[in-house]
Amino acid sequence: MKNNRFFAFMLTLMLLTTMISVGATAEGDVKLTYYSTSAEVNAMFEEMFERYHEINPNVTIELIPTGVGMGQQEQLQSLFASGNAPTFMNIDPANILDYQDKLMVFDEDTEWFKYLNPDAIEAGRMDGLVYGLPFSTQGYALCYNKRVVESVIPDFDPASINTQDALRAFFETLDAAGVPPTMIHGANWSVGAHYLGLVYAVHGKDTASGLRFIESLIDGTMKIADDPLFQGYMDTYDLLVKYNYRKDDPLVGDINADDQAFANGECATFFMGDWMWTIIGTLESKDLEYGFIPVPWSNDPTAFGNTEVVVSMPKVMCIEVTQSTPEQQAAAMEVLEWMLTSAEGQEYFIQAGFSMPYNNVREDASYNSMTQAIAEYSAVGKTINIGCFTYLTGDAWAKTGDMMLKYTVGAIDRAELAEEIDAFWKTQTKQ
Amino acid sequence: MRESSLVKRGGYFLAFSGLSLFAFLCVLVIPFLYGFFLTFTDWNAISDTFSFVGLQNYRTVFTDKEFLRQFLVTLRYVAISAILCNVVAFTLAYLLTSGIRGQNLLRGGFFVPNLIGGIILGYIWKFMFANVFTQIGKAWGIDWLKTSFLTNPDRAIWAMIIVTVWQYAGYLMMIYIAGFVGIPKDVQEAADIDGAHGFRKLFRVTIPLMIPSFNICMFITLSRTFMTYDLNLSLTNGAPYGSTQLAAMHVYQKAFMSKQFGVGQAEAIVLFVVVALISVTQVLLNKKREVEV
Repeated sequence: MKNNRFFAFMLTLMLLTTMISVGATAEGDVKLTYYSTSAEVNAMFEEMFERYHEINPNVTIELIPTGVGMGQQEQLQSLFASGNAPTFMNIDPANILDYQDKLMVFDEDTEWFKYLNPDAIEAGRMDGLVYGLPFSTQGYALCYNKRVVESVIPDFDPASINTQDALRAFFETLDAAGVPPTMIHGANWSVGAHYLGLVYAVHGKDTASGLRFIESLIDGTMKIADDPLFQGYMDTYDLLVKYNYRKDDPLVGDINADDQAFANGECATFFMGDWMWTIIGTLESKDLEYGFIPVPWSNDPTAFGNTEVVVSMPKVMCIEVTQSTPEQQAAAMEVLEWMLTSAEGQEYFIQAGFSMPYNNVREDASYNSMTQAIAEYSAVGKTINIGCFTYLTGDAWAKTGDMMLKYTVGAIDRAELAEEIDAFWKTQTKQ
Repeated sequence: MRESSLVKRGGYFLAFSGLSLFAFLCVLVIPFLYGFFLTFTDWNAISDTFSFVGLQNYRTVFTDKEFLRQFLVTLRYVAISAILCNVVAFTLAYLLTSGIRGQNLLRGGFFVPNLIGGIILGYIWKFMFANVFTQIGKAWGIDWLKTSFLTNPDRAIWAMIIVTVWQYAGYLMMIYIAGFVGIPKDVQEAADIDGAHGFRKLFRVTIPLMIPSFNICMFITLSRTFMTYDLNLSLTNGAPYGSTQLAAMHVYQKAFMSKQFGVGQAEAIVLFVVVALISVTQVLLNKKREVEV
């Protein structure tokens, strides 16, 4: 008997705990959860949500933070699987594909969407529908340290590097002056997603062109070795490998060490993006002035890709619809409007160094020189759209990036690299 | 009367082990069975729906060249680590029971690495291999130390082995020390009187009496090294170019990054069967060699 009473007690206790954790809120109050994969700015989101609660006391937003390099994808998967999906979130555009049937399709006629730049609305588009709204623009190409380059070539003009030959001559000049010309970050995401990604993306300004090329690799109608863009970009890559500051041990791939070396002027250029400012900005001794040079793939100065840099919107805001109530969804929509288009909301992003793709951002917002340089390319439309990668499964860049690393150290030659890339794509299914 | 005593005994059983049984069921048995069930589906870890694909996932596992290659890498890593861990641990235990000065302090020292988690350990050693050893190599002109161990496929797997041995040797040493201490004095004295010294005594008397310790230590090293994930993640993360990605990590990547949960889970089942077979065979074989005193 005693036992039975004990178990009844335990069972009641468990039920009570469950009920309490489900929780009940007062009438009219809305509780939202926000999942952020932008781990470096967790604090910014927390401040924003506190402020939002101050001006809208009936809305409470709880941040579900993630850590840099932690399993963000897996955490989100488990939140969905356990019925605790966040009301709204920021994710990579590539993840829209995975969660497509669980995300809100934004109505493009929404009043405040007029503030989005045209390419910003495209960043979250999948199969013709808009699922995500971006909040930052990032870009990459060959970043150069102005002080170092100008110590060898005074009045250097980045626009002068618009062909492969020009880049070769530029590197030779730097090398002759005893300045290490460039640096490759020996990690698969950099050489796989970013460098090899150029081959797909430069097939056309729109996402569909790159996607068509990838699909032709998947169904085997195209071999990557037959593609002039692949051969062209690999010729340029050979140049980068030859003049790589890390050529004694190219695969260390220590982002802190590489950023620091670049900021200290140990090499003139670095194939990387403006996001490295989040690390460089915190260094004690650093150069402040940087610019970007496109990565040319041919000797035709008018060819697309030779004068452009990659600009992407790495994160998009989405609203969940399968586990959240209509009230929560409507509240989340209002929060997004405040965050993305109000002067007060935008200020948080500007202060954190994000260049927002919205046309109502205050004009006197100032950024670091890297972000500024990318924004200048963006302003004149000299951009490459890496959107085709949105449609790929999560491991494409890692797998092909590993192949690029093998090529970097000479473990395989270009023909073998092309074969491995072809073989990888054939294992993928068309989306 | 009999029935009520059965109920009573059942009640006692539940009272004492109910909670842990519940936890065991929830975190081990049910997920295992559910995972096994998922190997027959095409679930992608996100979708609400999935369909049955029969044995397709298992066919994929055995035709996945990468998984088979990584499985061989894992076997090599496990074999070398298991032998080295035990040799080092046994040697340490032998030396630290021979009555040298400060042996308790040394025992503690060798045991400490085991108290540090695999993730932290991996980061510490990553720093050592990438920054400390390379600086020593450059300062003293030692060519093979000038580049990081972690950027060459052959050396990176050795880096994994070195850290594994460093991590487990101290723990196994404790088990061996217990084994050494547990050998009856009279048997040792008898061996001495019979004129067995040094290695002869070690191989003919000490080691046969320590088979249970070997048994436990081998089981621990085999099962743990087969399942190595944390160290793999923090030390090499599969680098360079996937050459040090062990089976457990491959399973994880397949399930969560490639979003082929069914295939990843099927690989996990295959891995489980192999580990269980090897570990149990090892225990059974060694059990026969145990000597009763």
